Amino acid sequence: MEAYLVAIGIIALIYVLLSLGLTLQYGLTGLINFGHVGFFAIGAYTSALLVMNGAPFIVGFAGAALLAGIAAWPIGLVSLRLRDDYFAIVTLGFSEVVRIILTSERWLTNGVQGIPGIPRLYSDLGGAAGQIATFATILAVTVAAAWMIRRIAGSPFGRIIEAIRDNEEAVQALGKDPPRFKIQVLVVGAALAGIAGAFYAHYITYIVPEQYIPLVTFYVWMAIIMGGVGRVSGAVIGSVILMAFLEGSRFIRDVVPWISEVDMASVRIGLVGLLLILFIIYRPQGLMGDYTKR
Amino acid sequence: MFYAQLFVNGLFQGLVIGLAALSITLVFGIARFPNAATGDSMTLGAYAALAAHKASGSFIVAGLGAASATGIVLLLAYWSVFRKLAGRSVVALLVASIGIAFLLRAVLGVAFGHGQQVFQIPLARPYIFGGLRILPLDLQMALVALVTLIAVFGLLYLTAIGRQMRAVADNRDLARVSGIRPGRVMVALWLLAGAVAGIAGMMLGMKTIVTPEFGWEMLLPAFTAAILGGIGSPVGAVVAGLILGAMQEFSTPFVGFTYKIAIAFLIMLAVLLVRPRGLFGRVEGVR
Repeated sequence: MEAYLVAIGIIALIYVLLSLGLTLQYGLTGLINFGHVGFFAIGAYTSALLVMNGAPFIVGFAGAALLAGIAAWPIGLVSLRLRDDYFAIVTLGFSEVVRIILTSERWLTNGVQGIPGIPRLYSDLGGAAGQIATFATILAVTVAAAWMIRRIAGSPFGRIIEAIRDNEEAVQALGKDPPRFKIQVLVVGAALAGIAGAFYAHYITYIVPEQYIPLVTFYVWMAIIMGGVGRVSGAVIGSVILMAFLEGSRFIRDVVPWISEVDMASVRIGLVGLLLILFIIYRPQGLMGDYTKR
Repeated sequence: MFYAQLFVNGLFQGLVIGLAALSITLVFGIARFPNAATGDSMTLGAYAALAAHKASGSFIVAGLGAASATGIVLLLAYWSVFRKLAGRSVVALLVASIGIAFLLRAVLGVAFGHGQQVFQIPLARPYIFGGLRILPLDLQMALVALVTLIAVFGLLYLTAIGRQMRAVADNRDLARVSGIRPGRVMVALWLLAGAVAGIAGMMLGMKTIVTPEFGWEMLLPAFTAAILGGIGSPVGAVVAGLILGAMQEFSTPFVGFTYKIAIAFLIMLAVLLVRPRGLFGRVEGVR
């Protein structure tokens, strides 16, 4: 039971990291990033490949953050001068293309078979202790990321990106260059997703392109919309609810065993869709949202 | 000759993309958001056509079934979801359309199963025109696409409701003060956009294998064609679909089959960089 809770805690923290990246991008800056899973995938594959070729973990994680950030750069350059909805489409397309590349470039990624046997963090500590050490590490990184985002939100930089979200023309009229700020935010958020991907790869130990479908992006969207957009606390609470939802829907099969595994996957997708719709219509600020504005 | 054959195959592929892009561009022009549920609406159209074809054995009935089922479901989506979000930001509509897409896919997955399904089409020998091999099925589908396009453009340009739809696309406020009732226009829009997506889904299903996920994969090429053609331009969407279909086929010998969708993505980026208003788009004051 304890091991199970730690395992869930690790996955939940990975989702918190992803949600924090999106909180920075969408919640604070208003970037509609529909391709978050693409950066997550880049991080996972980068760190897995680096570490399996002999690099130490720290290099793997740094590489994951760096490469995910670098991948975000041209996407931002191309699309951030355009309308918000175009950016959403472009990022969605980007994440699909990442998945296609992971599937097709067999020499690097082993295609649809994926990469098995990725080393775990702290494997020399052994089962339970290693798990707890992993959990503690992710927790530390997540807390640091949350602290960083709170600091960003309170800084002059944070005031500018929030102003961009609320009224881009006004920021431009004040002599600031919104696309430059947006690109910085995009890169930082992508790097966070890359780190989350590295933790995921080294925890799950087996990665395939099928893990990086757009549904994952919308899990994260669901988390921040449920929790409350633009709030660190919202990202955390939303991820916890998301985790409860994902794990809970696994237990539904114990209660109603006649539902097959594939049907259960459908039910899960349907519930995600339904929750997205209901929250967007009836509770757009989420549970922890800021009710003082708008 | 090889390339001429690829070009012809690409044009037939492009008809499907063009119809899907037409559905997207209609919604984008009039309801003002990119409808991410278009891909899964196509899936719905394909399953509706499969069911209608099994029941009746006629492809005409199948097409009517696809068009009406998808049109009605999108109209219901408008009534129950999109209408409630009127006046909200684009992201609200966009996220809601993703929600609709997931919901549709889930319902179709549970209702029709996850196995691959195919249309029972009798095999036929291809016609040969000056060395080009053309399948009778492709010609029949081109005919279906043509009839659909004539119906859509006839509706848009020859009827009162079509004129009203174009007026709303042009300038919503001006249309409103001219006495055009937005509610009726929206009902017509969603029925039309749904019917077109449904037909596109049926055509895609006849060319490939129907699974609950297969429509979603058309979303990126369809968006690309809509942007390439110029958002809000029905003619542009169809022309751009044909161009994109041909370009995807041309690229296959060089980059391989799996990178088809990546080609669409690169074209989208190039268009957004060089000419964001597309081939037939107008410069418009955004927001």
